[in-house]
Amino acid sequence: MRRWCVRGALVVLGAAALVATVAAQGAPPPLVSAQELLDGLKADGSRWLMFGGNYTNQRHSPLTQITPANVSRLVPQWVFQTDTPGRFESTPLVRDNVLYVTGPLNVAWAIDARTGREIWRYKRELPPTGSLTACCGLVNRGFGVLGDRLFMTTLDAHLLALDMKTGAVVWDATLEDFSQGYAATIAPLVVKDKVIVGVAGGEYGIRGFIDAYDAKTGKRAWRFYTIPGPGERGNDTWAGDSWQRGGASIWVTGAYDPELNLAYYGIGNPGPDYHSESRKGDNLYSDSLVALDVDTGTLRWHYQFTPHDLHDWDATQVPILADLTIAGQPRKVVMLANRNGFFYTLDRTNGKLIVGKPYVVTTWAKEIGSDGRPVILPGYVPDEKGSLTCPDVTGATNFWPPSYDPSQHLFFVNAREVCATYYAWKQEYVPGERYTGGAGQRATGPDMRAFGALRAIDPATGERRWEFQYISPSTAGVLTTASGLVFSGDAEGNFLALDSHAGKLLWRFQMGSALHGTSPITYMLDGRQQILVPAGGTLTAWALGDVPRVPSTR
Amino acid sequence: MKWMSLALVVLALAAADVLAQDVYLKIPADRPTKNPLEGNAEAITAGMGAYRVRCADCHGMDARGIRGPDITQVWARGRTDPALFSTVRNGVPNTEMPAHPAPRTSDLDIWRILAYLKTIAPATAEGPSPGNAGVGENLFATNCVACHRVGDRGGHLGPDLSRIGVARARAAMAKQIRGNMADVRTGFQPVTLTTPNGQEIRGVKKNEDLFSVQVMDTRERIQGYLREDMKSVNDEKKSVMPVFGPDKLTDAQLDDLLAYLESLKGNDAAAPAADKR
Repeated sequence: MRRWCVRGALVVLGAAALVATVAAQGAPPPLVSAQELLDGLKADGSRWLMFGGNYTNQRHSPLTQITPANVSRLVPQWVFQTDTPGRFESTPLVRDNVLYVTGPLNVAWAIDARTGREIWRYKRELPPTGSLTACCGLVNRGFGVLGDRLFMTTLDAHLLALDMKTGAVVWDATLEDFSQGYAATIAPLVVKDKVIVGVAGGEYGIRGFIDAYDAKTGKRAWRFYTIPGPGERGNDTWAGDSWQRGGASIWVTGAYDPELNLAYYGIGNPGPDYHSESRKGDNLYSDSLVALDVDTGTLRWHYQFTPHDLHDWDATQVPILADLTIAGQPRKVVMLANRNGFFYTLDRTNGKLIVGKPYVVTTWAKEIGSDGRPVILPGYVPDEKGSLTCPDVTGATNFWPPSYDPSQHLFFVNAREVCATYYAWKQEYVPGERYTGGAGQRATGPDMRAFGALRAIDPATGERRWEFQYISPSTAGVLTTASGLVFSGDAEGNFLALDSHAGKLLWRFQMGSALHGTSPITYMLDGRQQILVPAGGTLTAWALGDVPRVPSTR
Repeated sequence: MKWMSLALVVLALAAADVLAQDVYLKIPADRPTKNPLEGNAEAITAGMGAYRVRCADCHGMDARGIRGPDITQVWARGRTDPALFSTVRNGVPNTEMPAHPAPRTSDLDIWRILAYLKTIAPATAEGPSPGNAGVGENLFATNCVACHRVGDRGGHLGPDLSRIGVARARAAMAKQIRGNMADVRTGFQPVTLTTPNGQEIRGVKKNEDLFSVQVMDTRERIQGYLREDMKSVNDEKKSVMPVFGPDKLTDAQLDDLLAYLESLKGNDAAAPAADKR
């Protein structure tokens, strides 16, 4: 007994000595500062700290070790498997040789980037089966990060801060009551000291909003309702009380312009999705791009792509910022390849239309008029009999992230050429129940070839520079690099590398599952450029086998 | 006591009446023994849309069956509303019929779809087949068995027909045999590969991607080929299934064959055929 006590005392003494040593060295500085977020992707390739790589959402890396000439020599370094049902729709983050990634079913990991070995795993219990209303997959789109904290939205509509070192919950903020149809899958956008998120639930009669939370405390700083309330400008664009359950959800991460201090978000569809009579009017700010002051959440401007949408063509596509010269004038623009079939380049200082051109076959609108509104053609209103319209419900593109190469001024997007028969009917609203008032069915038949293509679009004109066709529509995101590469994938599970100047296929690998809704990221590790590919429930790291490792031993 | 029971019955009837009027009332936790939305106009409209979007790809816009079975006969064959509800909710194991779990599919959604289906389903079953199933079985052995399997007998190039009697209406089978069906089932699309030395490989396509195609050739060999190794890979327009016009199969013979096919209802039904080996 006494001996045990002595040994115990020694252990305590030892631990105290260790603590003293750590204290003497001082705690390491936080891993990610607000300035590092502003810096975005650096030439040293040491990090990928947010959804789109940097605040512009360009998903374009400055790295050049992997080139069109050597990309065929990529070899796998390791494969990580979630051992969880469901798939990644998430953009992983990387800092100090550690990956941070969210997965399906409210699970997240820290993973050793050198080996693919798990460091910690976080799991938040899901509410009882049947009580969740997440319409379209129990997925998540990635972490945000600041200081030593990761930020993650949850399927039951919470926002969590996790300790980067352990995955422990630091704070837990409730966005809304999930039983009323709210859910969250968005990757948070961290700006200054705020964490900005939105809610999903556009098929469940919610009233959408964008929230900002204090990164330290989890206290809500502001809320912007994507549907104006009574007395607010735009409320009269909803007939009667339809604004109360008009949807307009937000589940794709916005872009941020530090100079203008504005965040840009694409807003979801109005609900019920297909039934015109249920919500007469333009239905602001559904299917719009909104520019919000990040300090206050105040709306600076909006541009509505599809007024009074009847086809579920939400604008939850990834907005990308760039500085272009158009007609000899320098322009600050925001670009968005929309689900409705048109590609848009807007002036991001004021929301005015610069370019609005179809990038797939569109039958519903003749063009985008000079006033910025689509010139709608007759005969494309869904009804009980069904109306054939292009594009289909999934749209010309959707939430899978596109990429932009600023050196070539080219926008790369996986586009879909599919049409659908749209049906509509009147549906009463029941809280927590699916509220769509119709549906769309993909058109099939000998004359209705459905296919997809990776398209390179010039945002100054909306013209197509090149395309690479797939046998079926792809839902993969896109990554580009400064060495002239495009990485993406097809629906059949092929991971593809193409030459970004001409769209020539350079290399491929069958991953066993498509890169659905996500793109690879790239970073440097021990002197070798890595391409990290989320596909199905796996992450696979690729590097050039013949480039020697130079281990960093910091 | 008696008046109390009576009152309860009246109340229950009133509740049922309200239920029938209001499509959007919550369905009670205990599953009803009869579709509470049957005949409800709004439910039928909603069910039509839902049916077309979620069921018609396999069962057809007219519910007469494409890849999935003809489902216009389900009530005529004696299935009940709760049994059909379970089939939609839970799917059919070992078939392509998926489960439709909550919350994506609510109880209401299923009752609406069944309410609509009822409006396009005839109340009575098709009459018995005029043909002779025994004669039909011989015709099958002569003309069909090389490609189609029943039980543990037959080829693999065409779809297995062991359950075709419950999966297809007679008229749809007749159309298929006479060569009047445009659709070819996924996994059975005809394809011809031409090798660099001009040799042709004919078969049905089991899978494909941008770079490869997986086929079963006419000798039933399954094999994958890289497109780059082939001179050409051509999707054929015409099904591998021969057309049996009246010159090859008289109307009376067609009736006999249909009578046999209608008798095929799964493993049990196929057992006698297996015994004859």
